[in-house]
Amino acid sequence: MNRRGSGCLKDGPGVIGRNCRRVDGIAKVKGSAFFAADRKIDGMLLARVLRSRVPHAVLNKIDARSALEVPGVVAVYTASDIPGENRVGIIVKDEPVLVDDRIRRVGDALALVVAESEEALAAALPAIKVWYEELPGIFSPAQAMAGGAPAIHGQGNIQSVTRIVKGDADSALKEARVVISRRYTTQMVEHAYLEPEAGLAAVEDGQVTIWASTQNPHYDRREVARVLGIGQNRVRVVQAPTGGGFGGKLDISVQCLLGLAAWKSGRPVRMVYSREESMEFSPKRHPCVIDYTSACDGDGRLLAVKVKIVGDTGAYASYGPATLKRAAVHASGPYQVPNVFIEAYCVYTNNPTAGAMRGFGVPQVAFAHESQMDLLAGALGLDPFTIRLRNCFQPGSATATGQRLIQSVGIGQTIEQARAGAVQLGVLGGKR
Amino acid sequence: MKKRGIGVGCMFYGIGNTGMPNPAGAFLDLTDDGTVLVLTGCADIGQGSSTVLAQIAAGELGVNIEDVLVVAGDTGVSPDAGATSASRQTYISGNAVLLAARQAKEVLLEEAAGIMAAAASDLCLRDGHVWRAGEKTPLTVKEVLAACRKKGKLTLGSGWFNPETTGMDETGRGAPYATYSYATQVAEIEVDTETGKVSVLRLVAAHDVGRAINPKSVEGQIEGGCLMGIGYALLEEVKLTEGRIGNPRYAEYLLPMSLDVPEIHAIIVEEPEITGPFGAKGVGEPALIPTAAAIANAVADALGVRFYDLPITPEKILAALSAKGDGSARMGEIT
Amino acid sequence: MKPFRFTATINGRPVDLPVNPHRRLLDVIRDDLGLTGTKEGCGEGECGACTVLLNGRPVNACLVLAPEAAGCEITTIEGVAPEGGLHPIQEAFLEAGAVQCGYCTPGMILAAKALLDKDLSPTDQAIKTAVSGNLCRCTGYIKIIEAVRLAAAKLSGEGDAV
Repeated sequence: MNRRGSGCLKDGPGVIGRNCRRVDGIAKVKGSAFFAADRKIDGMLLARVLRSRVPHAVLNKIDARSALEVPGVVAVYTASDIPGENRVGIIVKDEPVLVDDRIRRVGDALALVVAESEEALAAALPAIKVWYEELPGIFSPAQAMAGGAPAIHGQGNIQSVTRIVKGDADSALKEARVVISRRYTTQMVEHAYLEPEAGLAAVEDGQVTIWASTQNPHYDRREVARVLGIGQNRVRVVQAPTGGGFGGKLDISVQCLLGLAAWKSGRPVRMVYSREESMEFSPKRHPCVIDYTSACDGDGRLLAVKVKIVGDTGAYASYGPATLKRAAVHASGPYQVPNVFIEAYCVYTNNPTAGAMRGFGVPQVAFAHESQMDLLAGALGLDPFTIRLRNCFQPGSATATGQRLIQSVGIGQTIEQARAGAVQLGVLGGKR
Repeated sequence: MKKRGIGVGCMFYGIGNTGMPNPAGAFLDLTDDGTVLVLTGCADIGQGSSTVLAQIAAGELGVNIEDVLVVAGDTGVSPDAGATSASRQTYISGNAVLLAARQAKEVLLEEAAGIMAAAASDLCLRDGHVWRAGEKTPLTVKEVLAACRKKGKLTLGSGWFNPETTGMDETGRGAPYATYSYATQVAEIEVDTETGKVSVLRLVAAHDVGRAINPKSVEGQIEGGCLMGIGYALLEEVKLTEGRIGNPRYAEYLLPMSLDVPEIHAIIVEEPEITGPFGAKGVGEPALIPTAAAIANAVADALGVRFYDLPITPEKILAALSAKGDGSARMGEIT
Repeated sequence: MKPFRFTATINGRPVDLPVNPHRRLLDVIRDDLGLTGTKEGCGEGECGACTVLLNGRPVNACLVLAPEAAGCEITTIEGVAPEGGLHPIQEAFLEAGAVQCGYCTPGMILAAKALLDKDLSPTDQAIKTAVSGNLCRCTGYIKIIEAVRLAAAKLSGEGDAV
């Protein structure tokens, strides 16, 4: 069905393709956009999380009695205070809201303190006593995947494997004129949005409302309802203006803890992460190790790729399985490759959790496949644009997963236009 | 010595979640005074979705964007639109809003057809008026709304859209995305061989977005993505020791700053997607994806030494250059 | 700690309130005065989201203790726009598409104002330097730099008209 345009105006009337000003722009330039940390309700309490400083341990006991004696402290909540399910996660429900058995990373939430003031919070946190038994940590996927490695979660450390097989890559390698194999490694990266995580929760008439900095309010509602053991009819999540996300605000941060605190205390509660807390405990971009073999014929036409991607998802799955799956699907780049063998592993370790970050695994594989294209071009003395134009998808091409691309296949155009733009600017041609 | 290099990076990117349903819904209410109220679950986190959705609603209903009010991301009033992720909201929520607007519009056009004794299929809305066979008529949208209300008709719409995908079987076969965006970026860089510092001088970024609903907003995504890509290529790294982050502060975690900004030339390529709202796909993530690849290739071009490990820091460059000087680098490459 | 009497002029209005001398100017502005347009991004002077003008000079309000600001003329984002309108810098930020998530925007606008109050024809390098203490993760700074350039033109134009 053609959904483009409507009625007698197939191209869309004037407003489509126009540089309309942002609908929220005036509030943002005047400073009147009300972010979550800007909100206040009379009688509001403040909350802060006590977090683990060790990466792997069995949690034995938490004693908050001294913390409760600090003037201004209203409550200290631990796992046993959670009325519903104490596990959240967008794909796999493997992360505790408050740890109940095992600490799996530095920063796991152990207890939530609710108090009248920041001063009371600051005094209460160090007063909480935690007994735990440290376990050896696993800090690399290689270590996690090795035989005999202790399982960080019940079912072994390989969270997921994605395989894409098309044609016969091994045979094609034997026929190829050029074969290039390299290992690529990419680092862990922080989203570094300017607004740290923040939220405010209040209970009224048996319904909890949470204003939060988030990329996914409806998911938040589902998780808060599950954790509190109530129906979604009693939870309302309102996305406050959100100061950037880039994937880092897709997972639960303050939402469930605030819901719990407001629900149990009956008072409005606000929590704002410090920058350090945001950078230490929010999910990150997956560091990856990519073993990449490419093969082409004498004209530079790709014959095969073999790729193995291992991504360190840290202590919890978060968006890891989807990130590695997407990395696999995109690993051969925007090119027609008749023979493909791709494997992507998402692996648990005791490192910080890696989740979604702008590009979802594709920036990692793009670094690899584009380096490979230049290496192939170099081996054959081809220009980098030529080898890409020779291989890029056209209408009718099939992807590594065998998907036929029918229309809106603009890769060739972007190559041509980027080259033309670079020539026009003098980046290419003449100046070198 | 300063050495210049040029590198190319290409990418494709599937719009929406991989091989699974990921629908979005929207409600729309055309009120008595011609206000278009759009209720969407789509979280605007700065990328500008509320503006784009307002443009889509205004475009479909032939009104000004100033007449549109978008209420976004409130689970108390708006339907689920899924996550703001996977560069999916312009395509998926855009379609949901388009369909909601179309439903409300059908009520209006039916009423207008009755007033004008015309076929609804000959009519459309533009500039706040009803148009017939490409000609503006004096009948306004507000007059049609008043006629609807007189009969007790409300002008509401709801829409939802789920991209057409399949799962992937055990060999990975399938059609995991309904559409893909594409991009090519060219980086021009300069390496200071004394300090190892790489400066990005110019980036040319050509992105096929299907259709740019708001070109300036698309440029903003591309420019921001390029700078984040520069950080990924050259600067940024979370440093870990036994699972503990060693640099959790802006003072220690290096980000590109205003003084690092190169010339960025965004080129918008429009290969309309027939299933997209007015032809649109997505650009949020594609903006960043090829940047590090292009820069890595440009560094290899400048130095004749290729780096296989991100980020390409001055320390790594100096180490590689001194190794190359020793003649210890194999085929001009550090592996 | 005994509170002291904090007196200053904020956005042209005198303020006089008891403040704990250990409090940061940022807390006085946000919590005591409810001017939440000034944002906290890091609390250690690295991001510039809390930029305000102190006697016309841009400072990170998270690094200034309340007593240091006593007696000063303080401008926050709420004091930039004329009643019922927008300042030309704010107009320029909207026109240039320099706003995305908006969290850095108040600080950016004040950093830009400090520059343009002194120099109405800044070079791009001067603009980049003026906002170099302000982080933005969304825009890539390009449209922010354009906005400051545009604001300079708007302000010079106005100057000519007057």
